[in-house]
Amino acid sequence: MNRIQNKILSLTGIVLFIMAAIWMTLTYYSRQTQEQYNEILQRYLRMNEVTSASQQMITDLNNYLIQPTNVNLEQLERSKERLRKAKYDVYALRNGDNDFDLTSYTNLIDSLLEAVSRSLMFQSLMETEDSNQAFNEATRISRSISDMTLTLLDTELKTYDRFYRGIIERSTELNKLGIWLLATMTFLLLIFAYWFAISITRPVQKLTQAAKELSRGRFDQKIEVSSNDEIAFLAKMFERMRVNINNLITEIQQKAQLEHELQQNKLLLQESRYRSLQSQIHPHFLFNTLDTLSKKAYLEGAEETSDLLASVAGLLRYSLRRMDRSVTLYEEVRVLRQYMDIQSARFADRLRYVEEIDDSCLYVQIPGLTLQPIVENAVIHAVEPMEDGGTITFRVAEEGDRIRVEIADDGPGIPEDKIAQLLRGSAQETEGHTTGIGIGNVVQRLRLFYGKDDIIDIESKPGAGTKVVLRLPKVRRNEADDQRTDRG
Amino acid sequence: MRKTIVVLLSIVGAALIYFTSVSAYKVFRADLRLPHSPLTQSAEYRLVLITQELETPFWDKVGNGARAEAAKHGAMLEVWGSYNNDSDEFLKKLEIAIHSRMDGIIVQGLDTDAFKELVKYKAASYGIPVITVVSDVPDSLRRTYVGTDHFEAGRLIARQLAEDMGPEGTVILLRDSGNAYYQEQRLNGIRSVLESHPGIRLRYAETEGSREQMIAAMQNLMNQAPEAQAFIAANANLTAAMVQEIGRRSRVQPYHIYSFDDSPDMLTLLRDGLIDGVIEQSPEEMGRLSAALMIDWLKGGKLPLDSGGYHTEIRLRKADDAP
Repeated sequence: MNRIQNKILSLTGIVLFIMAAIWMTLTYYSRQTQEQYNEILQRYLRMNEVTSASQQMITDLNNYLIQPTNVNLEQLERSKERLRKAKYDVYALRNGDNDFDLTSYTNLIDSLLEAVSRSLMFQSLMETEDSNQAFNEATRISRSISDMTLTLLDTELKTYDRFYRGIIERSTELNKLGIWLLATMTFLLLIFAYWFAISITRPVQKLTQAAKELSRGRFDQKIEVSSNDEIAFLAKMFERMRVNINNLITEIQQKAQLEHELQQNKLLLQESRYRSLQSQIHPHFLFNTLDTLSKKAYLEGAEETSDLLASVAGLLRYSLRRMDRSVTLYEEVRVLRQYMDIQSARFADRLRYVEEIDDSCLYVQIPGLTLQPIVENAVIHAVEPMEDGGTITFRVAEEGDRIRVEIADDGPGIPEDKIAQLLRGSAQETEGHTTGIGIGNVVQRLRLFYGKDDIIDIESKPGAGTKVVLRLPKVRRNEADDQRTDRG
Repeated sequence: MRKTIVVLLSIVGAALIYFTSVSAYKVFRADLRLPHSPLTQSAEYRLVLITQELETPFWDKVGNGARAEAAKHGAMLEVWGSYNNDSDEFLKKLEIAIHSRMDGIIVQGLDTDAFKELVKYKAASYGIPVITVVSDVPDSLRRTYVGTDHFEAGRLIARQLAEDMGPEGTVILLRDSGNAYYQEQRLNGIRSVLESHPGIRLRYAETEGSREQMIAAMQNLMNQAPEAQAFIAANANLTAAMVQEIGRRSRVQPYHIYSFDDSPDMLTLLRDGLIDGVIEQSPEEMGRLSAALMIDWLKGGKLPLDSGGYHTEIRLRKADDAP
C-alpha cells in the first residue's frame, strides 16, 4: 500500500534531490570557474613576477656595486634565486602561441643573470669600467624584460581574447540558465504538488460525497475509491459498513412487513370474535334449547329429528368456538359431516354428497371453519337454485408435500371476474351463510395461516360446475421457520 | 476543457525544459580549460627578421617570404623592428634579439657604428649568426648578405637615364647624409655608367633625414642648377619629398625622375606618372633566400656562406609599364 506518508516523503525526496543536483552542479561549475580565473591570474602574476624580480635584482646589484658588503651580496643572491624561480614558473606557461616569445623571454632572463654575474666578476677583479658596462647591459636587459613582459601580456590577451569573452558570455548565460531553471523548477513543482494534492484530496472528496449520500439515506450506491493509500482502506471499510447497514435495513423492512401481516391477522380475529360475542348470548340459549328439543324429540320417539337437532347444536357450538385457533382436518371433516346431515335433511334427495377421504391425511393443521363455508357456498349456489339438486364431492388426498382437499359441485359455475375477486379475498358476501363467514374470509385466513398465496384455487366453467382446491402444506410455515432458526 | 489544460501545460513544460536544457548546454558545453594551443615539438630554430620599416609593402613581402621559407623547414621566424626608420628602436630590438639568444638573426643592414658593434661583438659573443638583407653592411662581420646588388641597380638606372635623356644634361642625385653602404653602392653604380657620358653633369644634393631639410636642400639645388632635367633619388625615402618639391615649381612630367622601390610611396608615384622609372627588387625572394640560407647554415649544410652576398633579381620598371 502506497501510504500518504510515503507520498510526502517521496515528494520531499525528489525536491531535495533536484535541489542538491542543481546545487552540486553549480558548485562544481563555480569551482571550475574559480580555478580558471586562478590559472589566468597566475599566468599574469608569474609574468609580472619576472619583471619585478629582475628590477629588484638590478637594484640589489646597484646597491652592491656601491657598497660591496656581505649583506648586499646575500640580498643579491636572494633576488637572483627569486628570478630563477620566476623563470621556471614562467617557462611552464609555454604553449604553441607564445613558444617563440617565451623562449626569448627566458633566454633574456638568462642573459640578465649572466650580465649580473659578469658585473660581479669584474667588480671582484677591480675592473670598475667593465663592471659598470656589464651593469648597464644588465639594466638594459632588465628594461627589455619589462617591455617583453608587456608584449607577452599583450599576446596573452590576444590569444585568450575569445576565451575571455567566452567566459563573460558564459556568465551571462549562467544568469539566464538560473532564471530558466527557476521557472522550470517552479512549474514542475507546481504540477507535481498539484498532482500530489489531487491524489490525496480526490479520494477524500469521493469519501465525503459517499458519506453525504449515506447521510441522505441512500445506501444502495457503491463507494469506489481508486487510490491505493489509507483513504482507499478507509473507503473499503466504509463500503463494508454501507453494505452491512443496507442489509440490516432490508431485514428490518422484512420484519416490519411481517409485523404488519400479523397485525392484520389479529384485526381479522378480533373482528370475528367481536361478531361471535355479539351473538353469544343467543347461541347458549339456543344450544340449550336445541339440546332440550333434541332430548324431547328422542323421548317422543322422533329419533331422526333428535339427531338433526344435535347436529345443528354441534355445528353452532363448533362455529363459535373454533374460529381463532387451528384445528385438525379430522375435526373439520367431522363438522362438515354434521353440516351435510343437516343439509341432507333439508334437501332430501336433491342433495347428493360423495366423500373420498384418505384417512392418513387428516392430521394436518388447518384454520377452524375453513371447509364448511366452502361447502355451504356450493350448496347455496349449486344445489339450492336447482330443481334437480346437485352433487357435492369432497376429496382428501396426498399430493407431494401437500394435502390436496377438493370440493367440487356440478352447479352453473362462477364467472371468471368473480373468481378473481374471491381469490383476492375482497368479496364480502355473507348472505345466507350459517356461520356468517364467507369465502373471502376463508381465503384470507388460509393465506395468513400458511403465509403462502397458492393455498387455494378455484376452477370453474360455466355450466360445468366449480371445483375449489386447497393445497395444504403438511408443515406450517412458522414451524418450518422455527426449525430453520434452530438449525442455524 | 481538462484535456486542453493538460495539453497546454505539457506544451509549457516542454518549452521550459527545452529552453533550460539549451541554456544549460550553452553554459556547460564550453570547455572550462584554457585553450592551450598544443605545444608542438618546439621548433628547431628561432629566427628573427629585424627591420626599421615595419609594415611597409616592401618589408611585408620580405617578411612573408622569410616566414614561408622558415615554416617550410619547421623553424619559427618572427618579424621585429621599428617603424619609420627609427634606428634607436631598431638597435634596441636587435640587442634584445641577441640577448634572447635567437638561433639566427636576419637584419636590415644599418650602416652605423652601433649596428656594427652589436653585430660584430655582441652577436658574435653569443654565437648568433647574422645575415643582412636588402641593405648590406659588409664590414660588420655578418655571415652574408641577401638582396639587391645595389651597384648593378645604380648602373641599370643610369643606363636608362642616359637612354631617356640623351647624351647631354644635368642630373641631380639626391642622397641622404648617412652614407649608407647601399646608397654609396648605388651612386657608384650610377657614376660608373655616366662617366662614359661626358655630356652629362652630375650634381649631388645631400640632406639629413627630416622632410624640411630635404625640401630645403632640393630648393637650394634647383636654384643652383635650374637647367637640371633629371633627378635620381639614391634613397627611396627621399623620393616623395623630391617629387613634391619639383611639382611646386613646375610640371613634373618633363623631368626624368628615377628611384628605388624600397619605400612605400613608390608605387603610387609610379602609377600617377610622377616618376619615370623605379628599380624593382625582389623582396619575397630576399626573405625566402635569407631564411633558407640561415637555416642551411645552422644545419651546417652550406659552409661557408659566400660573404660577398647573394644577389637577387632586379629590373627597371618604367611608368609606362605601370598597371
